[in-house]
Amino acid sequence: MKTANIRIITALAAVVLITIGFVTNIGIGTVSAIGWLDISILCPLGALSTMLASKMLVPRALIALIIVVVLIVLVGKAFCAWICPVPLLQRIRGFLSKNPAKQTASLSASETKALKSSSCSTAECSTTDCSSCAEKRGTIDSRHFILGGSLLSAVIFGFPVFCLVCPIGLTFASILLVIRLFGGGDMTWSIIVVPLLLAVEVIFFRKWCSKLCPLSAFMSILGKLNRTFRPTINDKTCLETAQGTDCGLCGQVCPEGIDPRHPERSASSMCECSKCRECVEVCPTKALKMPLLPIARSKVTAPPGKDGGERQELST
Amino acid sequence: MSENEEKTYAGMTRRTVVLGAGGTLAMLGLGGLRFIGQTPLIRPPGGQDEDQLLSACIHCEKCYEICPRNVIAPAHIEDGILNMRTPTLDFDDDYCDWCKEVNDGDPLCVKVCPTQALQLPEGATAEKTILGIAEINTEWCLAYKLIGCRFCYDACPYEAMELDANNRPLVLNDVCNGCGACESVCVSLQNGSIAEGADERAIIVRPLDENGEMLARFSPSTD
Repeated sequence: MKTANIRIITALAAVVLITIGFVTNIGIGTVSAIGWLDISILCPLGALSTMLASKMLVPRALIALIIVVVLIVLVGKAFCAWICPVPLLQRIRGFLSKNPAKQTASLSASETKALKSSSCSTAECSTTDCSSCAEKRGTIDSRHFILGGSLLSAVIFGFPVFCLVCPIGLTFASILLVIRLFGGGDMTWSIIVVPLLLAVEVIFFRKWCSKLCPLSAFMSILGKLNRTFRPTINDKTCLETAQGTDCGLCGQVCPEGIDPRHPERSASSMCECSKCRECVEVCPTKALKMPLLPIARSKVTAPPGKDGGERQELST
Repeated sequence: MSENEEKTYAGMTRRTVVLGAGGTLAMLGLGGLRFIGQTPLIRPPGGQDEDQLLSACIHCEKCYEICPRNVIAPAHIEDGILNMRTPTLDFDDDYCDWCKEVNDGDPLCVKVCPTQALQLPEGATAEKTILGIAEINTEWCLAYKLIGCRFCYDACPYEAMELDANNRPLVLNDVCNGCGACESVCVSLQNGSIAEGADERAIIVRPLDENGEMLARFSPSTD
């Protein structure tokens, strides 16, 4: 099965599991504080905001924050691709539009052309190892401003401000409101307002995830420390390095705008990687892998036998 | 990079700066909602400190989910934008027994709250923690039509109600803790017993205002 489909299933499974939780009172919480009874992994932004807003050190929030930081260091932004319900909702928008292919393309034709013509030429890149030396550094973007703004606002006004509009929270709030409407006849304008606000966020702000989401900003900052499950190219089989052809599929398919072959040309730094495995699957020669531990780059010039041995040693 | 041709501000494109500044302003604007007046609500045990609740609640919905009697409900937008999705108590079908039945009187909502938005002071008991105070509307109450209904009186677990000479129930305001047992059993809105103009049950738990005074909708009926 394609990982894209597995990712839909995992995100849907999270929604279904939490919905079952709402109906059965088993105490698993929502994505904002998932866990079992009084043990919960809090949303890091929620944990930070609540402590800043109440000017109190909440032990459980602090522990949850540490756990989340460790998780982010281990799996980067995997939450975005595998669990977050927002991409699921954006998929609904894709179904509604007449040209879904256009919606999902991460870069327009002109952007791709511009990227290809910039910096070093393909020929240069294939012979010299420039992609390993010049990794694009993560830059501050609008998401980081919103992260800062929401934390600042929590300090000033004394409540977790972003939680009011967080699309993840609104998703589960909508589900709960529907359950309450049909289960208990709880009529309220919230049943209109909450899903509407959610729809506005994911439909009007098409680039919510990459331009606005402060949670994504938080994860990308810590994602810089992530070394596990990074897309790694085997230069011996990669079409560009092995045969000198102009492939670039891995860079085109990446929803985060990373080009694993040419990090220096990427629109985003590697810390944005959500481990979605699109690049692994698109690679025509299966040269791209996401190994658990980082593997030293194999050299094109090295003889195959020696290189293989070297890599085995390193990976054990 | 194509963006290099655009004018940049400290390495960021104009678009990034505009989006970022707009988002930050939006966050600060949302924060201003704190100064809009909020309707006082009946909060679950441990949520009586309104400032603490609003500061800490991240709307994670754990308390609604865990409540074994399904009495915790998300507040409506009608209760104020800031209150929306914060926990309140809904006594339509059941009341709050402080999880006596399932957890020996240790409220599960307080136990699961990950941010201390619901937090009981040391030594807090169900009797001493006032969630609200029940109010009877004598216009709509069946007992006041001398029908002899006493469901609320029988349901009260705290002996906070008494019957007068005509078997009409009265709330003892200084004993009532607002558990909602009376409201949950009131039949005044059911078919055949509904009074003209009634839009809620004849006995309703009212929240307290910031001074701890009961927010009565009707004139106190106990006098």
